[in-house]
Amino acid sequence: MTKRFKFSNLYLLVVFIILYAPILFLIAFSFSEGDSMSHFQGFTLSHYSALLRDSRLIIIVLQTLLIALLSSLFATIIGTLGALGINQTSRTITRNTILSFNNILIVSPDVIIGASFLIFFTALQLPLGFSTVLLSHIAFSIPIVVLMVLPKLRELGTSMVSAAADLGATNWQILSKIVFPFITPGILSGFFMALTYSLDDFAVTFFVTGNGFSTLSVEIYSRARQGISLEINALSGVLFVFSLLLVVGYYFLNQYQQSRKLKRTTREEDIL
Amino acid sequence: MAQPIVKLNHVSKSYGDSTVLKDINLELEAGKFYTLLGPSGSGKTTILQTISGFTSVDAGDVYFDGQRINELPPNRRKVNTVFQDYALFPNMNVFDNVAFGLTLQNVKKAEITRRVTSALKSVHLNGYGNREISELSGGQKQRVAIARAIIMEPKMLLLDEPLSALDAKLRRDMQYELRELQQRLGITFLFITHDQEEALAMSDEIFVMNDGVILQSGTPVDIYDEPINHFVANFIGESNILNGVMREDYVVEFVGKRFECEDAGMRPNEPVEVVMRPEDLTITTVENGKLVVTIDTQLFRGDYYEIAATDDDGNEWLIHSTNSVPDNSRVGVTFAPNDIHVMRFNESEEDFDARLETYETDD
Repeated sequence: MTKRFKFSNLYLLVVFIILYAPILFLIAFSFSEGDSMSHFQGFTLSHYSALLRDSRLIIIVLQTLLIALLSSLFATIIGTLGALGINQTSRTITRNTILSFNNILIVSPDVIIGASFLIFFTALQLPLGFSTVLLSHIAFSIPIVVLMVLPKLRELGTSMVSAAADLGATNWQILSKIVFPFITPGILSGFFMALTYSLDDFAVTFFVTGNGFSTLSVEIYSRARQGISLEINALSGVLFVFSLLLVVGYYFLNQYQQSRKLKRTTREEDIL
Repeated sequence: MAQPIVKLNHVSKSYGDSTVLKDINLELEAGKFYTLLGPSGSGKTTILQTISGFTSVDAGDVYFDGQRINELPPNRRKVNTVFQDYALFPNMNVFDNVAFGLTLQNVKKAEITRRVTSALKSVHLNGYGNREISELSGGQKQRVAIARAIIMEPKMLLLDEPLSALDAKLRRDMQYELRELQQRLGITFLFITHDQEEALAMSDEIFVMNDGVILQSGTPVDIYDEPINHFVANFIGESNILNGVMREDYVVEFVGKRFECEDAGMRPNEPVEVVMRPEDLTITTVENGKLVVTIDTQLFRGDYYEIAATDDDGNEWLIHSTNSVPDNSRVGVTFAPNDIHVMRFNESEEDFDARLETYETDD
């Protein structure tokens, strides 16, 4: 029993080493004095100071974040309204058709989506740049949001909405006081999914971006073609620590909320 | 008669090919406890929804307090509903759930607090205001749902199988409480159930439904003692139903014998069905029995024995007796003329009532 348990631990360890080794390897070399990743040559923070001085890269990071935040915000609004609409459809055939169209956008390769956006924007003669990147990011994020919000709407069911109407709520009051509070977790997870998809995206952005506008993934790609500089390693290190902090922060927030809920419950039981 | 609070006039409704309500006519008086009783799919919930406004009718008129309300949306109707699955709002605590309807009307804070407190008190949930919905038991959720509806001071409360999710003991307690609450508030309750015991226990008047039609309406005693047809007799309580022939007024023949009964107004030699309730059959000696049966099995039900027996012609009988009888013994069964209830085939409720008028002069 104990032996098998140990083996499963070992397996888990190996998997995590394989998953994290490349990232740790990358970060380790961000502290190396040399210019390439062939040998580790003594500790330095010079790549980090170079990163701070590289205003172009910092602007690109900010642009990436801006695109991610804006696109996921718009996608969340549009996607949530879309999910509400899909949920309203009474006929199963209509609903399934719409849902299939929604899902096709998620499974179809980014390259196809990127290419088709490029053709679309050029046909409309839109100048490629910030606006086209934003539009395409909004577009590929919407189906994700729809997919995250719909299950919550199904869980809500009809009886709560009926109950609110029965108590005199108008359609808007039903939406704002009952439906939205209930589906907020779905909306939030849709937002964060859209955020990560947007931050991640390379293929679509690569197609639709133009002169003078770039996101991090496109920038790293173009720099890597000329031989990667260790500045990129330093940037990766910073981003990795940043996301690590986010995850840890989320964990503690969850813990805090749960313990507070638990505390209140026990306190009320004490009263009884 | 005072103006009915609810009146359904020739109401019909169908979903696709299936007709769920067939020409329903219904009048409910203010201040009474009504029950719609029927198996699932009989259309009772649809009737409730035509009154609450969640279903539009295909034909006919719905009147509330003298006003035609066919087109009035649910949020503007002066009725409130207690839903089968409670439909409490999980993002609010008990207080906010109960206060929900009042906050929509912009009632003052102090007034809301006062009314919520009194509503929670009337369902015996004082001090539960700060509880989350997820912390409540099924029975408590049920009470919150009732408090949330009665705080609106509706003229009529609709209850859609509100007790079906509770365990048997709690259900009995809630029956008392609902009845008591209705009498205290003095408003009309329309209660929906498929449980005949619930209906008999609580109602002023019961409507028995099947297949989108109201088969019979009346007080619990009327419906229990004088069911109009086979379905009602079978659905309400246990019964022995036998084929018979009405030889003449006050004489019915079944299991090959003629018995004195209290029904009349039928054609001579008309084929009929005879209903006898198991608790009206008394076990006696073979010599004194109007029938002789052989005991097959018996089940102890706590307050009585449920005895299955067969007579010499092979008819099965169900008898309730406070005393146990040995299995396979032969016993006599006796009953009084008023224990026999005769039902005509395909008799409508109007005809049934009219026929009763012709000979029940003393009542």
